[in-house]
Amino acid sequence: MVYGGGLRRVVIRGGRALALTLACLAVLVPLIYLVINSLKLQSEMYTIPPIIIPSRITFEHFELTLSNVRTVRFLTNSLTVTSIVTAVTVVVSTLAAYGLSRLGLRATWLSLIVFVFLFIRFYPRITTVIPYFLVMRQLNLLDTVWAIIAGHLGITIPFVTWLMLIVFQDLPREVEEAAEVDGAHPVQRFALVALPMAAPGVASAAILTAFLSWNEFLIASSVAKRQAQVLSIAVASFVTDRGVQWGPMAAMAVIMIVPMILFALFVQRYLVRGITLGAVKG
Amino acid sequence: MAAFVVPAMLLVIAVQFYPLIFSAYLATQEWTLTSSQSSQGFVGLDNFLKVLNNEVFQRAVRNSALITGSAVTIEMLLGTGLAYLAVGSSRVIRAVRTLLILPLVIAPVAAGTLWRMMLNSQMGLTNYLLGFLGIKGPDWLGNADWALVSVIIVDVWMTTPFVLLVALAGLSSIPDELHESAALDGASRWQSFLRIDLPLMAPLLLLTLLFRMLESLLSLDSIYTLTLGGPGYATFTMTYYIYTLGLRSFNLGLAAAASWLFMSFATLALVLVFWLQRRSQTAQ
Repeated sequence: MVYGGGLRRVVIRGGRALALTLACLAVLVPLIYLVINSLKLQSEMYTIPPIIIPSRITFEHFELTLSNVRTVRFLTNSLTVTSIVTAVTVVVSTLAAYGLSRLGLRATWLSLIVFVFLFIRFYPRITTVIPYFLVMRQLNLLDTVWAIIAGHLGITIPFVTWLMLIVFQDLPREVEEAAEVDGAHPVQRFALVALPMAAPGVASAAILTAFLSWNEFLIASSVAKRQAQVLSIAVASFVTDRGVQWGPMAAMAVIMIVPMILFALFVQRYLVRGITLGAVKG
Repeated sequence: MAAFVVPAMLLVIAVQFYPLIFSAYLATQEWTLTSSQSSQGFVGLDNFLKVLNNEVFQRAVRNSALITGSAVTIEMLLGTGLAYLAVGSSRVIRAVRTLLILPLVIAPVAAGTLWRMMLNSQMGLTNYLLGFLGIKGPDWLGNADWALVSVIIVDVWMTTPFVLLVALAGLSSIPDELHESAALDGASRWQSFLRIDLPLMAPLLLLTLLFRMLESLLSLDSIYTLTLGGPGYATFTMTYYIYTLGLRSFNLGLAAAASWLFMSFATLALVLVFWLQRRSQTAQ
């Protein structure tokens, strides 16, 4: 009996370790394969069967990619779009969420607003992408980063306002009420009392926004064809090119992915909190 | 306080609601941008009928249902299962959790690109590894059926971590005392899963399921870089179909009509999400 229990435990533990190892490999192997391909010699790229461990590491694909003026522009465009979108979203949405949570709206109104946020988060975005393209064309903003930025803000602002609304509704009101009694102005109550308490939430929201904007493809590709292209479009453009160019394609994907992975490792706690907040609390 | 809300409201109206109304107008117009700079006239519901009778659209609806149905089922089971295995606070387990969520931060266009190399039937790693197991791997991206399977694989790879994270959060919110007292009463782990965890997590899991369904239906990026809808129309999904209709053939009227058909379906799912969220909130 005791022996049987021990054996069972060993089997369960072994099974758990095996399953988790397999899962980790499933995540890691494709990523490592991508990195290897970006460092492989052209001559070892298209062999059958594939050469897994390259005989020599080469940075030629990165050099080729990064020496291209266009790639550098994609990179700076992506950085511009992501930083402006993140900054504007955090400011505008935090304010809006605070306002909404402290307006004393009736519950029905508040749930209607929350429904609108959810709707914008999940309706088929393709519906508005085509008219948005027409509007930008009319405004002569096609192929500018501004068209991409405004398009991203249309998604990130409702989403982050929704997240921050959850955060502000969870904060204790007593401190703010005390500040109000002491004669604090709404702006003071927001900036000096509520905001510091909501800071971890703001960090989560900013991080999520940055990921969303950096990785976004649909809106960017609909309004930017040349000058204003961002990295996601550059990565996608390899698929339509004639012939196979695995080296530069892999290098471009690595350039897009690796900074985000490093960033994610660095801010993991906030990222996880942000991702689960919307689903768990709503 | 109301002034705080104004900037966000104006932006959302300009970038979301205006295009939405514009799109409803477009759906009733005959307008191909390549042949005319302005609308070529009101056609009523013709666009909707044309789309519904279009073979590619019908195929796209079938593909979307198939891809989303299978991908989300696998993700839910796999994500919840892995969450069970990944509970714990040891250093190794924490590192494992960090690793497992990485696909979440990878751009879908890049994930599609990466899997296009992985699944290349001749030079890709997948078939090479299958070869070690004595399996002759299929022509993943060249065969119509296997291309659909490939799309599902990529969706599962990218978003199982989301289910894992939410399930982990749900699991950690269940008080340990419940499990302890169940164990004292002689319940097996399987029983305590069925009687305690599952009922407590059911609302959360259902919500996650709906979130995933909607997002998977809307996804475009990874299909774009993985198969470009091919071979032929084999992996055209609703989003991809509308994308090519609107932004490749520039048939604005048809694209808008198709997107509203899609929208009505997504809205139903959304109302369900909303209702569930309210309900679970009042239950807390």
